[in-house]
Amino acid sequence: MAKKRILLVDDEKSLTTLLKLNLEETGNYDVRVENWPEDALAAAHEFKPDLVLLDIIMPRLPGGNVAALIDADPQLKGTPIVFLTAAVRRSQVEDNDGIICEHPCLAKPATVDEVVAMIEKHARK
Amino acid sequence: MKRRLATDSMDSKPIQILLVEDNSADVRLLRELLKEISTAGFVLTVASRVAEAKVKLAEESFAVVLTDLSLPDSQELSSFRELRAAAPTLPIIVLSGVDDESLAASAVREGAQDYLFKTGLDAHTLGRSIRHAIERHVAEQKLVRSEAFYHSLVEHLPQNIFRKDLAERFTFANQRFCQLLGKSLEQIIGKTDFDFYPPELARKYQQDDRGVIRAGRILETIEENLAPDGEKMYVHVVKTPILDAKGRALGTQCIFWDITAQKRFEQQLQRKNDELALSEAALRKANEDLKSAQMQLIQAEKMESIGTLAAGVAHEVKNPLAIMQMGVNYLSKKLPGGDENLVMVLQEMKEAITRADSITRGLLDFAASKQLAVKREDFNQLISDTLKMVRHELNKKRIELVREFTEPLPKVAVDKTQIQQVFVNIFVNAVHAMPEGGTLTVRTFAKQMTETTHNEGSRSSAHLWAGDTAVVAEVEDTGSGIPQEHLVKIFDPFFTTKPTGVGTGLGLPVSRKIVELHGGTIDIKNKPDGKGVRVTVLLKEQRES
Repeated sequence: MAKKRILLVDDEKSLTTLLKLNLEETGNYDVRVENWPEDALAAAHEFKPDLVLLDIIMPRLPGGNVAALIDADPQLKGTPIVFLTAAVRRSQVEDNDGIICEHPCLAKPATVDEVVAMIEKHARK
Repeated sequence: MKRRLATDSMDSKPIQILLVEDNSADVRLLRELLKEISTAGFVLTVASRVAEAKVKLAEESFAVVLTDLSLPDSQELSSFRELRAAAPTLPIIVLSGVDDESLAASAVREGAQDYLFKTGLDAHTLGRSIRHAIERHVAEQKLVRSEAFYHSLVEHLPQNIFRKDLAERFTFANQRFCQLLGKSLEQIIGKTDFDFYPPELARKYQQDDRGVIRAGRILETIEENLAPDGEKMYVHVVKTPILDAKGRALGTQCIFWDITAQKRFEQQLQRKNDELALSEAALRKANEDLKSAQMQLIQAEKMESIGTLAAGVAHEVKNPLAIMQMGVNYLSKKLPGGDENLVMVLQEMKEAITRADSITRGLLDFAASKQLAVKREDFNQLISDTLKMVRHELNKKRIELVREFTEPLPKVAVDKTQIQQVFVNIFVNAVHAMPEGGTLTVRTFAKQMTETTHNEGSRSSAHLWAGDTAVVAEVEDTGSGIPQEHLVKIFDPFFTTKPTGVGTGLGLPVSRKIVELHGGTIDIKNKPDGKGVRVTVLLKEQRES
């Protein structure tokens, strides 16, 4: 089975480094990291991810805007997006059946297992 | 002194005498007798008729007038009267024949100083009579002036003055008092207080009079009096006993004057003073209220700032937490198993992250002013459901649960999840307060608010107003209570007495915020018996719309 390609967009370098390490450690994922939200769209075109893990609060271009760009892009349209953010609380996510801004959402801090479960649930098969 | 002066003057200066006599023999007799008197010189001027005497009286000054009563132009008393009218300030001595003694006596009654019989008159008698007439006349004049002086005083003083005898009958009243009663002096003399005042007042006045006589002392007082028109007046009264020369009481004298205006003014002043004192008290109270409101505002401001700050901090802390989470997860996988210490360290770190996360969540709950999903709920049901959530905790600590629910209870409009969170906090606190077991009493009832309540330090405008029906829950534990110094802090964020990791110090601040969002109040006090804590939550009744 081919590894799933995960595009991780977050301005927190340490977080992306560690999450990439963790996900790749499972042996199931290919992870590309973008720390600058403006680069996310180009990276998605190039990388063609099976799922985008997207931070929301980022400088200059919030995650919501990045998601909108991906949704609006003819080639990228339909790419699964999961928000991974400190901007929401776990309880809020639960209250909204895991969907915020039309995309599934995971509140930081989340364990690696929780992130993996989200990927497995939503990634392009 | 004066007397001596008068005598001296009489001795040294010749005395001017006007003799009115038409009988030349009598004139001669008088002249001879006067010459015999050695002590003083006399200058005699003679007038044979009344008309002539009048002219002399007008032209010259005399010390005394000697007059016969049968004169060519006037007879008997009319002679005397004419002279008297012509010289009202001079002593007049009537010279009388033997046969008209009664006439002479009448003249004396009308003001003649003396009468002398011409027959057998000697120098000594004449001289003494003249001297005495002059002296007596001086004294009389003094008396008249003095009387005029006192009369003028009594009638012109702005006071009411009257006298009464021992039988309480008026013997004198000045014009002012007459005017006050609206009666003439004749209508007052001989009457008593009962003729002019209501019986109880008259009785009181007479009692005072008797008191003054008995004590023999002045009575000065301020009392109420009734004017004849029935209007109440205040009077200043001075009553004195009237005594005779031997000190025996003859009656009473009273001086009184109207001080109603003064009294009214005093009362007005007093009233103004009271009003001033009152408004000063009101001002002080307003000032204190203001201070307390200011303190509340500051407290509210502080809470808001803490909320905002907390939200910021919580958010910023979450990312580092996420990183640590990832790190710990990675290490858990990569580190060789079997090393108990490594496992323990990683476990501790995981728990620390969970704890930090729960604090940030609490902070965000506190900071969030959420929209409530309000529904009409059965308060008893809501509390029962919440009790189920903590049943396990209660059982574990062997805490007995006592429910004193009032059924039926007015409905409340609440966000059920939120209010349940409040009660979970309250119940968990109670459990923590009774580690060795105890009793948890949960009581519900409705009550009419008698005063408007507002949580101190809250900025929400929602109140329970006086007159509102409040639905009340009281939760009591049998723990050790809250020390006084902690009571003021229990709603402060991060204030906790629980061991680290057990309490975040956010349960009560969040609970209060939630209750306030519902327009209710939460209050925590030690029970009156000192054994445990009572938490009171008040929510407003929600009538069916």
